[in-house]
Amino acid sequence: MAELALDGVTKRYGDIIALDDCSLAVETGGFHCLLGPNGSGKTTMLRLLLGLERPTEGTVTRRGVTVGAGFQRPSFYPSLSVRENLDVFARFQAEVTDEWRERLVSGVGLDKAVDRRAGDLSGGFARKLDLALALLGRPDVVLLDEPLGALDDVSRARLLDFLDAYAEDGHGVVVSTHRISAFEPSLTRVSILTEGLVALDRPVDDLPVEEGERLQDRYVEMVRDATS
Amino acid sequence: MSLRSLLRKELYWSRRNLLVLLLVLCLVPGFFAASSLLFQDVIPRDTPVAVVAGSDDVTADELFAVQAGLSFFATPVEYGDRDPALRDLQREGVYAVVEVPHGIREPGRAVTFRLFVDGSMVPFKEPSQTIAAIMESRLDRELDATVSVERVVVGNSHDLSGYLVPIVLLGLVMLLAFTFVPYALTSERRALDRLRLESSLEAVVGAKLLFCTLLMLVPLVVFHLVLGAIGFDIAALTPVTVLAVLLTFVALSAVAMAVVVATRFTATGRLVNVVLLLFVLGFSGLAYPAGYFSALRKTVVRGMPTHYATVLVRSSMLRELPLSAFADWLVGLAGVAVAALVVLELSLVYYRRTV
Repeated sequence: MAELALDGVTKRYGDIIALDDCSLAVETGGFHCLLGPNGSGKTTMLRLLLGLERPTEGTVTRRGVTVGAGFQRPSFYPSLSVRENLDVFARFQAEVTDEWRERLVSGVGLDKAVDRRAGDLSGGFARKLDLALALLGRPDVVLLDEPLGALDDVSRARLLDFLDAYAEDGHGVVVSTHRISAFEPSLTRVSILTEGLVALDRPVDDLPVEEGERLQDRYVEMVRDATS
Repeated sequence: MSLRSLLRKELYWSRRNLLVLLLVLCLVPGFFAASSLLFQDVIPRDTPVAVVAGSDDVTADELFAVQAGLSFFATPVEYGDRDPALRDLQREGVYAVVEVPHGIREPGRAVTFRLFVDGSMVPFKEPSQTIAAIMESRLDRELDATVSVERVVVGNSHDLSGYLVPIVLLGLVMLLAFTFVPYALTSERRALDRLRLESSLEAVVGAKLLFCTLLMLVPLVVFHLVLGAIGFDIAALTPVTVLAVLLTFVALSAVAMAVVVATRFTATGRLVNVVLLLFVLGFSGLAYPAGYFSALRKTVVRGMPTHYATVLVRSSMLRELPLSAFADWLVGLAGVAVAALVVLELSLVYYRRTV
């Protein structure tokens, strides 16, 4: 059985069904994209996998893996500096070496902001701090909700390189997004969510994409068909 | 046009915040309007007063006659012995002890009643003199003997400024528990998801409560230093005071934190905590002892754990009573703190189950 998985999970908020009988497994050592339009249930799925919400029905398995998270709304202490945030959250981890911390700060492009108050950071730097905190403990799997949001093109490229290397080191990377293009070269698996249902969940080599067709275009077409 | 648009926005806001508006505009004013009924008298009329026999010769009939005479301006409570009566005087269970002499039914015999009052109970100083005078004239009229009343002040005497010290200290404890602690906990909100992932809600809230409780030692030390500097003979760092202050702080802070968590760290929680603060300040018998007011208010005050904390701190600071004199109340206060922590845990369970 997978180490991080949802099995037959339904999540309701009152009358609204956010996820409907969804099953999904996350593997370490791959780059998994959770793709779907706004309101398709991606964030809910990530929060269920993280154990921050409870399923209405079904089971969530999280066995023997360490999990890190980047949140849709960056999660840190706004009154502390970037360095203090890194210090505080490093103490929750078994071991964070100085070498890894420096590599991480540089990899996500936080170098210039380490002494700034986190609450004063721009949207892009706040996102970078959130990503750095997600990866601080070198978790087996990192779940990132819209990780490229608010990042400039250079920062995006740096982060993608960093995540690529992280996945190649044998860690699992799961990104939730509604724009797959930026991640396309790195992906090993794609799951598409529409209206709370898993419409597709396959390794990237098995995707129903024609020669020369862009994955983003195929995805948009699939969602249109499913929702029309 | 701009004003109309903004007023329309206020209507939308009101519709989205109906519960808050109901609380602020209906429930709170209604509560305070009704609570004015609880303040009925300026001069104490139902003050509990202990009645004890001055010697073994005093008969049950004599005690009964005195109680009947006292019941017009106090609530007499018969005690079998003077020591437990004086102990309750120190614990503010009664506000005076009347010692009844033998021979009150004998015509022409001169008898002297002794009225014991506590020297630290400053608000009762003047009324106790009035009560002694009323008591003397009333009992002299009703009894066959010639009655005189001797007023005896027991324990340390303090003036109003000394009497206010424990009140200010406990008021500060209440203020910090219902304002600073919720503020400090709400500041965790932006990091809450990550904290829940890396740790647990219990650990986050527990660490915050422990830290804030330890911080409460600072104002105690400040009180101790300032009181010493201005020459007050009041000890702020006695074991009873420290324990009572910390246990009260833990209990109130746990309730305030439970409100913050149950209202999902929103402004509604801060508002509810301010209302709770006003309630606790008004009904703990902080300034005026519980025995001073109407029967209804007395019942409310005596049902509040903070009333016992007030008496504990007042007794420790002004009367310098040892820990052993209040061990039972301290255990009770610890029980209340544990109960408040259970309520806090239930709020955390509710939070987790409803996300």
